[in-house]
Amino acid sequence: MKRSFMKHSRVKRLLTTRKEPHTLAGAYAMDALGEPDRVRFERHLTGCDACAAEVTELRETTARLGSAIAVAPPPAMKARVLAAAARTSQHVPGGLSRAPARTRRRTLVLMPALAGAAALIAVAIVFGLANSDANQRLDQAQQRSQVMAAVLTAHDATMMSGQVTGGGHATIVMSQDMDALVFSAAGLPAGGYELWLVGPDGDRAAGPVDVSAHGMAGPMVAGGLRRGDHLRLVAEPAGGTVLDVPL
Amino acid sequence: MHPRSEARHDGGLAGLIAATARGEAAAFEELYDQVAGPVFGVAQRVLRDPAQSEEVAQEVLLEVWRTASRFDHAKGSALAWVMMLAHRRAVDRVRSVHREAERERRTATSDIPYDTVAEAVEATLDQERVRRCLAALTELQRESVMLAYYGGYTYGQVADLLGVAAGTVKTRMRDALIRLRDCLGVGL
Repeated sequence: MKRSFMKHSRVKRLLTTRKEPHTLAGAYAMDALGEPDRVRFERHLTGCDACAAEVTELRETTARLGSAIAVAPPPAMKARVLAAAARTSQHVPGGLSRAPARTRRRTLVLMPALAGAAALIAVAIVFGLANSDANQRLDQAQQRSQVMAAVLTAHDATMMSGQVTGGGHATIVMSQDMDALVFSAAGLPAGGYELWLVGPDGDRAAGPVDVSAHGMAGPMVAGGLRRGDHLRLVAEPAGGTVLDVPL
Repeated sequence: MHPRSEARHDGGLAGLIAATARGEAAAFEELYDQVAGPVFGVAQRVLRDPAQSEEVAQEVLLEVWRTASRFDHAKGSALAWVMMLAHRRAVDRVRSVHREAERERRTATSDIPYDTVAEAVEATLDQERVRRCLAALTELQRESVMLAYYGGYTYGQVADLLGVAAGTVKTRMRDALIRLRDCLGVGL
């Protein structure tokens, strides 16, 4: 090992990481990028079809490196994994979750801390539906309220709350099992807002936030959460981020 | 070269994932039998700790069950998808704060035994072809791949360990995988 070069390599790294992002394809395919490089490269990938195609091929290659070192796991692991799967909901396309067969009819048990939020959101759902006279939107709304109910009653539901910069208070109930959350806020200053999921896998708009005359917003569902995501509330048109919650 | 052609070599994995996505427990069990070994192998290689490897392997297999509907054959083969989940999670674990501290200490107190890692991998590779293709790489290419893929190091760490500029390691990693791809006939 040529340790005397270490200092130089640090300097060079600073100079090279920002240039020619596509040369990172190999390191990316081996998960050898630190978080900032990974985020930057994934942004680059979304706009570079040739890079994405290369990454796909290199992933096939690293998969072979992986399968070449297969080791039989402890036999007891199989029963544990199958049992865990039997009680774990699956993602189904469209952001809904398929409940595990055995618990599909379980009674709804709310954690005490969630009861208040759930009640508020339930009221909001009812009002939301009552005010919606467009029939074709009813199905969508019903589907959304089902998702909300599922998130709020998920066994791993956790509630977070925080102050919104500029005024107001936001409440988030999240289920990691469902990779979804329910967002609501009160006391928001009038104006336009947009909800975003921001993370290493890219930024996704979770939709515009309608604020009522009383500064109430939501409840709304954001699905497809990924590891490392933050939830951001952004004031439009140029008010900037008024809430940033690591999930 | 298109990933779709991998389907022929997939051993029916893609079909099993599709059935798993529909909630078919029997398909998931069959899928488990086919991928648990590679998943556990990667976890064990990167983590080098039996208890943590088992934990990570279980998490990965459960993730396969939960997110089977997200598998998109247009973006690669079923095996590549599962191995990506496995390797990412193993690497995330090894880089978590606790392990990082331990690794820093090991790096500081002794030469990191990267060549030991390489030897161990080369001794246990059960696919002669992968071993042969790795052997055909230049030394720097091979060490970069060994440390990054099997060791879970970032390319910056690999550069430090090998005493080479990060930019060099970065390009060697890409060159190495391209050569491996061609040598292994991936996607052909």
